[in-house]
Amino acid sequence: MTDAQSIAPAEAPAAKRQRRPRRINLSGAIGLVTVSFWLVVAAIGPALAPHDVGAVVDLDVFSPASAAFPLGTDYLGRDILSRMLTAARYTVFIALVATLLAASVGVLFGLAAATVGGWIDMLLVRLFDTLIAIPSLMFSLVVIASLGSSIPVLIGTIALIYTPGAFRIARALALNVAAMDFVQVARTRGEGIGYIVRCEILPNVIGPLLADFGLRFVFVVLLLSGLSFLGLGVQPPYADLGSLVRENIAGLGYGAPAVLFPAIAIATLTIGVNLVIDNLPGGRPGAGRR
Amino acid sequence: MMLNLQIARMIAVRVASALATMLLVSIVVFAANFLMGGDVAEAILGQSATPEAVAGLRRAMNLDQPAYQRYLSWLFGLLAGDPGNSLINNMPVLDLIGPRLSNSLLLAGLTALVSVPVALVLGIAAATWRGSAFDRTISLVSIGIVSVPEFLVATLAVLVFAVMLHWLPALSSTRDIDSLSALLRVFAMPVLSLSCVIIAQMIRMTRAAVVDALASSYVETARLKGAGPVRIVLRHALPNAIGPIASAVALSLSVLMGGVIVVEIIFNYPGVAKLMVDAVATRDMPLVQTVAMIFCSSYLVLVTTADIIAILANPRLRHR
Amino acid sequence: MIGGVPSVSRRDVVRLLAAGGVATVLPGALAGCGVSDPRPPVKGGRLRVATNNSSTADTLDPAKQAVATDYCRCHMFYNGLTSLDEHSRAQLALAESIESRDATVWTVKLRRDVRFHDGKKLTADDVVYSLRRHADPAVGSKARVFASQFAEIRAMAPDEVRITLIAPNADLPVILGINNFQIIRDGTTDFTTANGTGPFRCKEYTPGVRSVSVRNEDYWRRPPHLGEVELFAIADENARVNALLSGDVDLINAINPRITKQLRRAGLEIFESKSGGFTDLVIRLDQAPGHNPDFVLGMKYLLDRATMRNAIFRDYAMLANDHPIPPTNPYFNPDLPQRPYDLDRARFHFRRAGLLGATVPIVTAPPAEKSDDIAVLMQASARKAGLNLDIRRVPADGYWANHWMKVPVGFGNVNARPTADIIFTQFFKSDAPWNESGWKNERFDRLLLEARADRDEGRRRAIYQEMQRMIHAQSGVGIPLFISTLDAHSPRLKGMRPMPQGGLMGGAFAEHVWLEDA
Repeated sequence: MTDAQSIAPAEAPAAKRQRRPRRINLSGAIGLVTVSFWLVVAAIGPALAPHDVGAVVDLDVFSPASAAFPLGTDYLGRDILSRMLTAARYTVFIALVATLLAASVGVLFGLAAATVGGWIDMLLVRLFDTLIAIPSLMFSLVVIASLGSSIPVLIGTIALIYTPGAFRIARALALNVAAMDFVQVARTRGEGIGYIVRCEILPNVIGPLLADFGLRFVFVVLLLSGLSFLGLGVQPPYADLGSLVRENIAGLGYGAPAVLFPAIAIATLTIGVNLVIDNLPGGRPGAGRR
Repeated sequence: MMLNLQIARMIAVRVASALATMLLVSIVVFAANFLMGGDVAEAILGQSATPEAVAGLRRAMNLDQPAYQRYLSWLFGLLAGDPGNSLINNMPVLDLIGPRLSNSLLLAGLTALVSVPVALVLGIAAATWRGSAFDRTISLVSIGIVSVPEFLVATLAVLVFAVMLHWLPALSSTRDIDSLSALLRVFAMPVLSLSCVIIAQMIRMTRAAVVDALASSYVETARLKGAGPVRIVLRHALPNAIGPIASAVALSLSVLMGGVIVVEIIFNYPGVAKLMVDAVATRDMPLVQTVAMIFCSSYLVLVTTADIIAILANPRLRHR
Repeated sequence: MIGGVPSVSRRDVVRLLAAGGVATVLPGALAGCGVSDPRPPVKGGRLRVATNNSSTADTLDPAKQAVATDYCRCHMFYNGLTSLDEHSRAQLALAESIESRDATVWTVKLRRDVRFHDGKKLTADDVVYSLRRHADPAVGSKARVFASQFAEIRAMAPDEVRITLIAPNADLPVILGINNFQIIRDGTTDFTTANGTGPFRCKEYTPGVRSVSVRNEDYWRRPPHLGEVELFAIADENARVNALLSGDVDLINAINPRITKQLRRAGLEIFESKSGGFTDLVIRLDQAPGHNPDFVLGMKYLLDRATMRNAIFRDYAMLANDHPIPPTNPYFNPDLPQRPYDLDRARFHFRRAGLLGATVPIVTAPPAEKSDDIAVLMQASARKAGLNLDIRRVPADGYWANHWMKVPVGFGNVNARPTADIIFTQFFKSDAPWNESGWKNERFDRLLLEARADRDEGRRRAIYQEMQRMIHAQSGVGIPLFISTLDAHSPRLKGMRPMPQGGLMGGAFAEHVWLEDA
């Protein structure tokens, strides 16, 4: 299995540059439209809500869709459309910020650790391993006990929970690249760590990193409802999309829209984000070229 | 010979550093016990935790010992093979963990057995025919599946297969297993639910890593030499992608010990995840510590294995 | 007084118990309880039961039992000296008679035909051991508050125990019927299995996993109908319901009122136990903003009881009037006007308290049942009355120790108590351990002792009604509703009867029910 590498000539990362102009494809367009839709909803949704997000407006619970309640009502008889319009803001905003935070910190340290190597690498690996090995339930309880519950604390907690994973993936990807000849050449040229990471390694691992980012975004969206359930999260009467699914799960037996629509919302949001990522330049290498 | 020695040394270093990590984790988890607030005496008394009752119970349970003493006696006990008794029900921690650990390992093993091959095959196939309709479908479906909350997948599965169709039992009891078909019936839904959670990450990372490797110059060289697409992927690209793939698989599988609480609860499957939740809720220090060590060691075994696989697959890494 | 039966004077009750006899009536009465089903009980069969709560903290120690799962198991394996009937009155169980001349020194005669599961005969030493251990802090007893009334417990003869109280209390037979006072064998310290006198023997038990019990053929009463009971917990509400729907279990507890429609449609039976349990709004009177009586009153006017009953409990609840005595209790005060849902008056009081436009945090948590939902409804009402309620949901973990009775505005959850005296003593007396709002009233304390000593039923009722008025008007506790407990079972399970002690017949179902097709 080594012959492939031995025949690889020393080469600059230019090898990975695109050879053909990208064509705008359908999936990218769909992704873009979906994500834009949710961004707009997050921005102006709460203003459009026909009902108060906490008000009981229906005598029955889990009502089906009707003219008064286009998406039905929830387990208390509240308007699901209004609740979703506000929930989208929390989910989109918190998940984006937390994922960006986790990914950038994890990737930065991961790439640096792989490039520098030696005891710094070892130390960082042990540190992040320790972080990941603390049960997240315990971690969340410690956070609540010491910092209380607020949106910034929530974002920080989620970011911390997902940073070690991003670190692991980034480091594994970068290790392979760092061993390549062109990186060795750059080293002997006397380039600094920052330059090597930025210009030699990052461009060669950006594809898988973006794929990982897209998945991490999905996990964060789902983790939100788990943390809200613990008490570290969005506080009533507001909720995030995952919590809407969770609190209305009893409606599943009735086929209530209260549980279906929030689930569909999560699916479209996360699929949209991943479609966009797949079609970013450098993202999902090979999707539209070669 | 030299090579083997080198690999042995490398493995020894990693095992040693894994042990150091475990020690660090045990200290951090012990500290977290205090940061969470409350203790086992309050947990036992619950709503009837009046200050004097709590004080009395604390004295009786030797909780007034200094913290470091309790930590050290647990640590030395663990090293001697006996992590002590549960504070909440006085049963040996090992007795509590034993049957649940084998349950968890069984469930994790079956899930890995199903999901890893499927994920690798789909991921590599998607990379081979990248850009095709097949590739796009796989990508869309895998993201779609992972975006459905786990409790919704599990509840829906029970509603359809147990309540409506009566094909499968709603609860998964390992006691009912006396044949292969019984095994399949009992584990079908839990394994399905868990696979939905972990499979997407493995598919996507496998695909991404292989595609990345395909872009490298040596594959280009092989292509110029006239190798077919399947041969290029399997023979030239895959070996270089093994490192990141192993890492992604290890990370995905590490979820299968502590992160399966939803599945354990919905299918009433007694495993170590629920044990940990119980132990944390009751501040049962010896149990929390010991289960945390199990989670930690299973994680370390997985990532260390992934590290070693990556190094074996890429000889350039051996010299680092 | 016992069980609040107004027609019987205290002296009579003591003698009634002394007459014995009743003990044989109770099991007979419950055994033949197929009121709606004239067919005779069927013997045998294995019942699978799923409860809502189980962890490594599960216990077979009667002193420690705390959740429905424990109650069910302990009722299968143990008996008390007395047991509580459907009117919360004491009925004789292991005691053949309980009598006292002054309600301070009590003589308990034991049945002589009772054996533990290991074959040992029940003696006075077992009773003395079982009752005394509650005073030991190391036991961690949940009934320590009651046990603190015991001055001395002595074995007078192999079948006779004398209990001396620190002050007269004619309720002792009721107190002895509380689950935690069930009788274990002298010297028992190991509770990895159960050795009691109860209708079932413990065949298998793993805390947090499951228990299997088999019929005790040598039971001192009529042995139970069921041959075997497997009991485990499914904490997830929907999973529990689905297990019942799919036929994996035959009986579940703690079901959500919202899914009763779905269960009925599937041909399953809903079993409602009306009890005096409640989730209450707790406002500390010794902290801001609760030290201002206007704030407290305003908050009580914010309780939209009708909407709560409909939206949260789907009508499986009774209106409450900010005091803990339910309308089904003979001491209930019918002349006390129901406090209405009145936003104008709420606004008036908030203005007087200078809190219009202010933001007040209100703490909710899962252990205070449905406190989230109650708070959400209050929040919507409060906004209309000019007050912002900021809901802070905190973890279930450590709620009782860290938040309950400590935060200025929060919620508690109180299970039904068998007598008015017990609930007043535990929750409203100035020095009560669970005086949730920190309400201190000397007159209330005096009335409580007066009622305990008074033999005239009319006067005692008048006192209890006055005490309800005082709580209603002055305490920092708002009680919106009395919540029914809902269980559900398959139609093949027969013989369930509602008990005021709570769901699953107060945990005692296993002794009384049968499977029709066993």
